[in-house]
Amino acid sequence: MIETFELTKVYPKILAVDRLTLTVAAGEIFGLLGPNGAGKTTTIKMLTTLTKPTSGWAKIAGFDVVRQPLKVKELISVCPQEINVDRELTAYENLLVFGKLYNLKNLKSRIAEALEFGDLASRATDRVQTFSGGMQRRLLIARAFLSHPRVLFLDEPTVGLDPQVRRQVWDMVRELKTRGVTVLLTTHYIEEAEALCDRVGILSHGRLRALDTPQALNEQVGGFVIESLDRGRKKYLLVKDREEAYARAQADPEGVIIRETNLEDVFIKLTGERLA
Amino acid sequence: MRWYPVFLREVLLFQKRLFRLGYVVSIIFTPLLYLVAFGLGLGRQVSVPGSTYLDFLLPGLIAVTSMMNAYTWISTNLTVSRLHFRTLQIYLQAPVSPAAIVTGQVLAGILWGLLASSLLLVLGLLFGGQVRVNPVFILALGLNCLTFAAFGVVVGMKSRSHEDNATFSNFFILPMAFFCGTFFPLEKIPTVLQKLIWILPLTHTNVLLRHPDYSLQSLISLGILLFYGAACFLGGVWIIRNYSE
Repeated sequence: MIETFELTKVYPKILAVDRLTLTVAAGEIFGLLGPNGAGKTTTIKMLTTLTKPTSGWAKIAGFDVVRQPLKVKELISVCPQEINVDRELTAYENLLVFGKLYNLKNLKSRIAEALEFGDLASRATDRVQTFSGGMQRRLLIARAFLSHPRVLFLDEPTVGLDPQVRRQVWDMVRELKTRGVTVLLTTHYIEEAEALCDRVGILSHGRLRALDTPQALNEQVGGFVIESLDRGRKKYLLVKDREEAYARAQADPEGVIIRETNLEDVFIKLTGERLA
Repeated sequence: MRWYPVFLREVLLFQKRLFRLGYVVSIIFTPLLYLVAFGLGLGRQVSVPGSTYLDFLLPGLIAVTSMMNAYTWISTNLTVSRLHFRTLQIYLQAPVSPAAIVTGQVLAGILWGLLASSLLLVLGLLFGGQVRVNPVFILALGLNCLTFAAFGVVVGMKSRSHEDNATFSNFFILPMAFFCGTFFPLEKIPTVLQKLIWILPLTHTNVLLRHPDYSLQSLISLGILLFYGAACFLGGVWIIRNYSE
């Protein structure tokens, strides 16, 4: 459903995305994981026709994002990192304008469905400026869902949200998957990538460092981590299995923590940097 | 009709702001100030061939008001929604053509320009001014709004900050308001400058609003306004088509 080949974006003095090649299957939830400045948002902007690539190509359902932008836009919807709703308008009016932009039929019932989906039906006629951050974020996702897109792009969908609202957003994304929507999301939250994504691509300095299921990526680096203190500084040792971890832990008189690896360990192993 | 949602959003936003205390006043405050200060105050001492100064000034102020409102609303809204609220990106990522986006914006600009200038026209008439309103007058006013709304699209899309926007206003819009025959007849300007001023669109709007007749001069002035309107419109479409963040 999403295909890129050597997709590159160079800004003056900055290589934002460096020869990104990937394929996302229909109905998949694909995550791009990386720290701020890794090139995640630029990738989404190129895939959603907002930014023109410097070289390489990208296709959505076979349509080229540069040469057939209107065809691409008919299939996609975007939930950007910034809450770009009209705060002076009501939730209903925001959805009304959006629905008309997509020339949607049965708009009234679709708006009602989207408001229900975002759990905002009771606040439909309130101005968005009276909404909490979490409600505005839910409206943003509900708006993206309104056009029943085949591909949905979510750029850091839960950034700045409290854990409870974050889980509500996760439920919304899972709900979209059950409806067959292909989702490409970017995040720098490990638990988000692990909880939601079928496959994860790890981006660092614009380059794709690894791409696989969260499980497979974790297995690639070992499976278990021994955290210990070395002269006051935390030290991490990746090992293959629990037995090896216990054996090594017994040799350390200071005491250690043994835990399963997560995507942050994968990231550190691949890039030598931390995600946050 | 793919432009309609773009226009609808602008109308909805305008409706919300219209009922804010002082918003209507702010739309026509500056031209009203000129009307009172120059038309009724200083104007009593000034003579203009063939009419009173108030009758001379009123069409010029109507032209300036339509220009200011059509231009400012569109350029400011586009700059702010593109750089600050990032709501413009909704249009850019939706299946709407660049021409539809510009059409929706320009129609909104025309509406605000006509609303504000109509308001000033009514006030001017209440102050005793006289204006000849006929189809040529209305067409000229509409084309003036179109030209400056489309110019607002160009500026709104090219500004890199809110300050950039103010710079465009200070270097293009404000000088036109003062030198295109709004406050004094063009004949009183040095001949060299007159040639430059005849190139500018607002000059032709002023000519048409003062003498809305069916003459060759009117036809030429309407043609020049149409040319500027079309050039700015196509410029806006080109900029949006080639827009990249």
